[in-house]
Amino acid sequence: MSYEVFYEEYGYPMKGKKLEKLIEFLNEEQLTYDEGIEFTVNLVDSRGKIAATGSLEGKILKCIAVSCSFQGEGLAAKIVTILISHAISKGHSHLFLFTKPDNINIFIDLGFYVIAETEDAVLMENVKNGILDYANSLKPQCAYEDTGAIVLNCNPFTNGHLYLIETASKQCEFLHLFVVSEDKSIFPSDIRYELVNKGVSHLNNVVVHPTSDYLISTATFPTYFIKDKFKAGNINCLLDLKIFCEYFAGILNIKKRFVGTEPFDKVTAEYNLEMKKVLNEYDIDVIEINRLEANDAAISASLVRKLLVEGDYEKIKSMVPEITYDFLISDEGNKIKEKLRS
Amino acid sequence: MEIKNKAAAGTLESSDIYVVVEPNENGIDLHLESIVYNQFNEEIEKAVRDVLNDFNVENIKIQLKDRGAVECAIRARVETALKRAGGVNS
Repeated sequence: MSYEVFYEEYGYPMKGKKLEKLIEFLNEEQLTYDEGIEFTVNLVDSRGKIAATGSLEGKILKCIAVSCSFQGEGLAAKIVTILISHAISKGHSHLFLFTKPDNINIFIDLGFYVIAETEDAVLMENVKNGILDYANSLKPQCAYEDTGAIVLNCNPFTNGHLYLIETASKQCEFLHLFVVSEDKSIFPSDIRYELVNKGVSHLNNVVVHPTSDYLISTATFPTYFIKDKFKAGNINCLLDLKIFCEYFAGILNIKKRFVGTEPFDKVTAEYNLEMKKVLNEYDIDVIEINRLEANDAAISASLVRKLLVEGDYEKIKSMVPEITYDFLISDEGNKIKEKLRS
Repeated sequence: MEIKNKAAAGTLESSDIYVVVEPNENGIDLHLESIVYNQFNEEIEKAVRDVLNDFNVENIKIQLKDRGAVECAIRARVETALKRAGGVNS
């Protein structure tokens, strides 16, 4: 038996000819190259052909493939080791991995655990019971029968969000709010969380949680953060919705999920539509609440951002809670305005 | 020895072990996974704790994914991870 020697080829990410070669290889393996990739490693054989590859986007391992002529030689283990080591050097130790259902066992052997699975994709993490432990940690002190949930980004927190939350809190006994933790919005996640948390403190049946990496994150719902590139049809939110139903709704006994009607944003509109289908299968009601209007226009965070760029603080004041307004006129708020303008 | 940052050593390849160490506030938090867990989990854990002891590590989160490494390999991988996490050149 002869052993092939492989060269490691790195890309931060790959560019030019190397990228073309990689995309071609991935296509042969029925995978597409993702735009957000930050790091790629290829194992290349002595003739210069790619034998195996894998990529990293933040804390997510993806686009991992081994050419069929080299399968069973442990190349996947080599690739995954390099990717994990790179992620750790960047400070990430809780990692996620995307693959096809056929390959689950390979990655279970390498220490990954299944979070959720659809017909064509599986999301895994490298922590045993990671998501179970997280969802369990959110359990309220006592059990409620009639529990609802809202997942929001709040970029930034507006009267529209507050209205949605107040209306929902009257329609259930206990309400869980999940504020998106992924730091890909113009308002940093800790500020979005803090504004919501302070802004709902007058409601005593409402509790605010960060979504961690498990709801509307680059791992569960990548399309949400690349809205401008979105093409109609396939927004890939099935994993996200399954995770909501199987873990959060299951463990927290959530029976209702509230959403605001979505007149502007195509991705959110489609997400809401898909949500109804999936949640119904799990006997969870999706309740749409009409948007609050101000000055004859529905209040939305995107409108507030637009007004912020224009510096129209008078209009903003009528659309956001005091806590958000105070933040927007602070030094930190000004920095965000400058960032939006550039 | 104080664990200052996250570090890793080893590989996930067969007959090796992959060790990830992180700072921890109170005590030793050890997670071991092994393909020979049922046969050797006590021996592996003892070897790991021996190394931690040798380096006077009191607070650490250490995750081990073992794919059938022999004891000297386990000790060497743990030692390397510790040195990397403590800012010692290895």
